[in-house]
Amino acid sequence: MRPRNVGAPIKRTEDPRLLTGRGEYSADRKPDRPLHIAFLRSGQPHARIARIDTAAAQTSPGVVAVFTAECITGDFKPVIPFSRMPNYYATPIVPLATGKVRYVGEAVAAIIATSRYLAEDALELIEVDYEPLGALARAELAVAGDAALLHEEAGTNVLIAREFKKGDVAADLKAAAVRVGGRFEMTRKAPLAMEPRSYTAEYDKRRDAITLYTSSNIPGIVRDAISESLDLPGHRLRVVAPDVGGSFGSKGSLYPEELLICIAARKLGRSLKWTADRLEDVSSSSQAFAEIVDAEMGFDANGVATSLQADVIGDVGAYSIYPWTCGLEPVQVVSFLPGPYKIASYRGAVRGVATCKPPTGPYRGVGRPISTFVAERLMDLGGKALGLDPLEIRRRNLVRAEEFPYRIASGIIWDKTGFVECLDAAAEAAGYEHLRVQQAAARKQGRLFGIGIASYAELTGIGSRIAVAPGMPINTGSETAKINIDSTGGVTAAFGVASHGQGLETTLAQIVADDLGARFEDVRVIQGDSDEVPMSTGTYASRSAVLGGGAAKHASRILQDKIKRVASHLLEANQDDIEVSDGKAAVIGTDRAVTFKQVAKAVYSDMKTLPVEAREELTATYTYDPINGTTAAATHIAVVEVDPATCFVKILKYVVAEDCGRIINPMIVDGQVHGGVAQGIGAALFEELIYDDDGQLLSASLVDYVIPSAPEVPAMDVIHIESESAVAGGFRGMGEGGTIGAPAAIANAIADALSPLGVDVSILPMTPERIFRLMEQARFNARGKADE
Amino acid sequence: MKPAKFEYVAPATVDAAVEALRAANGEGKVLAGGQSLLPLLNFRMTRPAVLVDLNGIKDLSFIELRGDRVAIGALTRHREIEQSPLIGSKLPVMAAAMRYVAHLAIRNRGTIGGSLSHADPAAELPMLSLFYGASLLVQGPSGRRTVAAEDFFVDALTNCLEPEEIVVEIEFPILQHDGWAFEEVARRFGDFALASIAVSVRRRASTIEDVRVAVMGVADTPLRLKEVEAKLRDIAIDNQTPDRFSGLVTSCVSANGDLHASAEYRHHLLGRLARRAMQTALATKG
Ligand SMILES: Cc1cc2nc3c(=O)[nH]c(=O)nc-3n(C[C@H](O)[C@H](O)[C@H](O)COP(=O)(O)OP(=O)(O)OC[C@H]3O[C@@H](n4cnc5c(N)ncnc54)[C@H](O)[C@@H]3O)c2cc1C
Repeated sequence: MRPRNVGAPIKRTEDPRLLTGRGEYSADRKPDRPLHIAFLRSGQPHARIARIDTAAAQTSPGVVAVFTAECITGDFKPVIPFSRMPNYYATPIVPLATGKVRYVGEAVAAIIATSRYLAEDALELIEVDYEPLGALARAELAVAGDAALLHEEAGTNVLIAREFKKGDVAADLKAAAVRVGGRFEMTRKAPLAMEPRSYTAEYDKRRDAITLYTSSNIPGIVRDAISESLDLPGHRLRVVAPDVGGSFGSKGSLYPEELLICIAARKLGRSLKWTADRLEDVSSSSQAFAEIVDAEMGFDANGVATSLQADVIGDVGAYSIYPWTCGLEPVQVVSFLPGPYKIASYRGAVRGVATCKPPTGPYRGVGRPISTFVAERLMDLGGKALGLDPLEIRRRNLVRAEEFPYRIASGIIWDKTGFVECLDAAAEAAGYEHLRVQQAAARKQGRLFGIGIASYAELTGIGSRIAVAPGMPINTGSETAKINIDSTGGVTAAFGVASHGQGLETTLAQIVADDLGARFEDVRVIQGDSDEVPMSTGTYASRSAVLGGGAAKHASRILQDKIKRVASHLLEANQDDIEVSDGKAAVIGTDRAVTFKQVAKAVYSDMKTLPVEAREELTATYTYDPINGTTAAATHIAVVEVDPATCFVKILKYVVAEDCGRIINPMIVDGQVHGGVAQGIGAALFEELIYDDDGQLLSASLVDYVIPSAPEVPAMDVIHIESESAVAGGFRGMGEGGTIGAPAAIANAIADALSPLGVDVSILPMTPERIFRLMEQARFNARGKADE
Repeated sequence: MKPAKFEYVAPATVDAAVEALRAANGEGKVLAGGQSLLPLLNFRMTRPAVLVDLNGIKDLSFIELRGDRVAIGALTRHREIEQSPLIGSKLPVMAAAMRYVAHLAIRNRGTIGGSLSHADPAAELPMLSLFYGASLLVQGPSGRRTVAAEDFFVDALTNCLEPEEIVVEIEFPILQHDGWAFEEVARRFGDFALASIAVSVRRRASTIEDVRVAVMGVADTPLRLKEVEAKLRDIAIDNQTPDRFSGLVTSCVSANGDLHASAEYRHHLLGRLARRAMQTALATKG
């Protein structure tokens, strides 16, 4: 059967409702007379809570209840972000600060009132006496022996330490013809979804049951965790992620507020609502990056990278997160640092250090934006030292087609992917040789014109053999599809994966339509609802096309077989002679056909047509596990010009050549790349959460936390290298890649532009201020040289 | 992020609005376009007891020529100024600057009276009011008075109004010039300026007869640089003039630093913008 929907640029079915304001987000739920929550958040970075006085708040107009940690101790069990990793301390997760506060923005008390306005009025009446314990504002200082401890029970501020080793790095570095290195940093970033975190808990008195509508991308994990914490079985706790306005990772962990709203709903027997305002979202949702990497790479005289070592310090914030742990982001930096390159020996050590900031968590690309930034800077530095063009040095080091599967020095195995093909395709599309000619001409005029390349590989669609986060106890390796045809012939496909902007409602329907033989527009996709499948985790780690798509394919095939069996009765033909497509089962080569509606009628309603034993319910469920997962790769090329007057960076050209395997919907793939690159531009040039030495967030509003807007994002060329993967459907995950490649490509382009000045790029974002300082440094150096 | 409780009144005349402010005993606040005030209310950084909404007052929105001046009503939206042919021909520097004011949606609501009263040190209209030497007509319980723009801006986000006073209209003298320029750098299109400069030049043959200069984004209030204007009067124009001008501007301004830009960087920017602006002003006619 030829695929007709998979591969086609079908417009997203979710867009008409989302673009016309008819979407339904958690905050749009309208339960009966809901109460509203406002949280009192700590203004202290690190302090003992000596006293909380809520008496005045309790009598404030409209207030129904005021909760502090003390009021709810018996109502839940703390959630432990467990991991089998050695050298890891799991900080318990509780709904409200208990005993002390550990970052500015941590929830200390909750007011529940008849409106959010009245709740916020009452917040001002709560008195808290804090005894300051001293802010731990920087990871480098928090590791010092005499630093105060954020979690006394841990005995250290280093919540996680880990080392990867292969070969004798020290010897190989010593033997290297050229060694390059540096201290690289990516500052703290906010994922900044357009919809802030938002929860509605609907209480069902009849059954003492709760339905939690949550802006989460892991509704299944949230269901299981709250069920455990509140001792509420899954059939009395339904968790639904309705339309979700972006996550980028910030809605991919269990949050204290999700626990609190369910506890309160149960305690008060009422439905409740809470939506973070922007300030709360920026200052209490999980954050990204915040890592410093000291790294060194050795090359032989031919430009082959032989050795790599790195020491990473990650500023993981105040708590470990559930279920990923605080190891997720920093450990991933060292596990992916060798990237798509055949580097023989490696040592990567990482420490995740607790500080007085919100926890870091998953962020689109996890670990790889910075590991790629570092590895790609080192490649360029190596090329420069050896007189090799950046394109050539990458060619000499990338894993080649005949070498897959390839185990890199950190232990990750890449399956067959077009690493070199992406590099070549990007170079060709960008007109690389001509760009170098253009650059030479620009330099003659004194212009700062730079070209940057970044190649990377990522692991996507991970199956049960690999843990998404190291040592984690939950299964992230499978997903279920449940497809049924009801008595009217309607096709409903239910999944546990939870789209929050990826367009899964469209792409999963494309797969079902092809593999079941339904019409695309007849397939309804349900996702993100814990009542629909027995177990699911959600959408994260570029897994849903591979796992959800794989499950969809298998379940569709099973159901199609059932349709064929029924149709063979109805059409009096051999099952093997029946083809199902376009919502019809037909005898091949004839015009004899029955529609899904007729098939359904025969099975469910019509008591005469089929023998009883042939009335098989038209449902199929399949749980798919890709076991290992699959690799995705890309090369990004950025061309920039730095304006020496304003110190601004203008992106003149941007090219991405990516291999995401078989493409389900090219329009959605392009959109994911565009969005990812836009965020990567944010990381490269604009976005930075700035905390001062007292742990106060200085860039807490969208005036001060600067994200790229439409004029700052250039048009880009996206080239697809479709090398099919070995998993069902040949898909690879691709939702995160744009964010991984862009910071490195832009950093290399800026470094290339500034190279006539003899300065280097080692920290992102490269704000105009930082470029100004680099140029000042260059002027200072030039003056020094002139004086010699 | 919800405002504290307030009372809301929507008077139909300026007199009634002033009366409402007087009755509020210093606890009243005027609402114009709301683009700056509403965030402050939501953050509870401002908590007026009474909000006096000017939007229902009919005769506060106009742009008209009055001899050698252009008068603009306080409730005139940024977008109306941006698109006004009268502003385009009589106050071209203002016309050029308006597209740098925020984003279209904000320009559709934001008003000139609100922008001046809000007194943001990096906002275009406050700087332009200094540049043109505008005067503000203000009404309070004891009647109307005129305040010169140079007396109006006291500090960052602080003007010289009494709590029960309202800006009613602003008059901008039409400048005679042979060339002018407006330059601005902001992090993103539509953001508040990191640094900005407005210049106009009147020349006699190849001598500068008169220069007008105002800058913003570098100090607690926008600044008109009269010292620079004086030093350039009657000097001969040559190809060193833009550099000389840039040197004069940077030597008489000591920039402030903040989260987005250090003092040194702003200073650097201002110097570069000044040079570029003078090059343009000397090259254009109009
Ligand atoms: C995202 C964003 C970006 C922006 N960028 C820019 C920019 O680049 N440049 C720029 O210039 N501005 C910018 N602004 C501000 C915008 O121009 C505002 O509209 C303007 O500063 C205030 O005008 P308003 O009519 O909205 O005043 P309001 O918000 O209604 O009021 C502001 C203040 O002025 C007082 N007030 C209002 N009218 C009067 C009056 N007639 N008499 C006395 N007091 C009065 C109010 O009481 C209040 O204190 C931006 C705003 C936003 C939200």
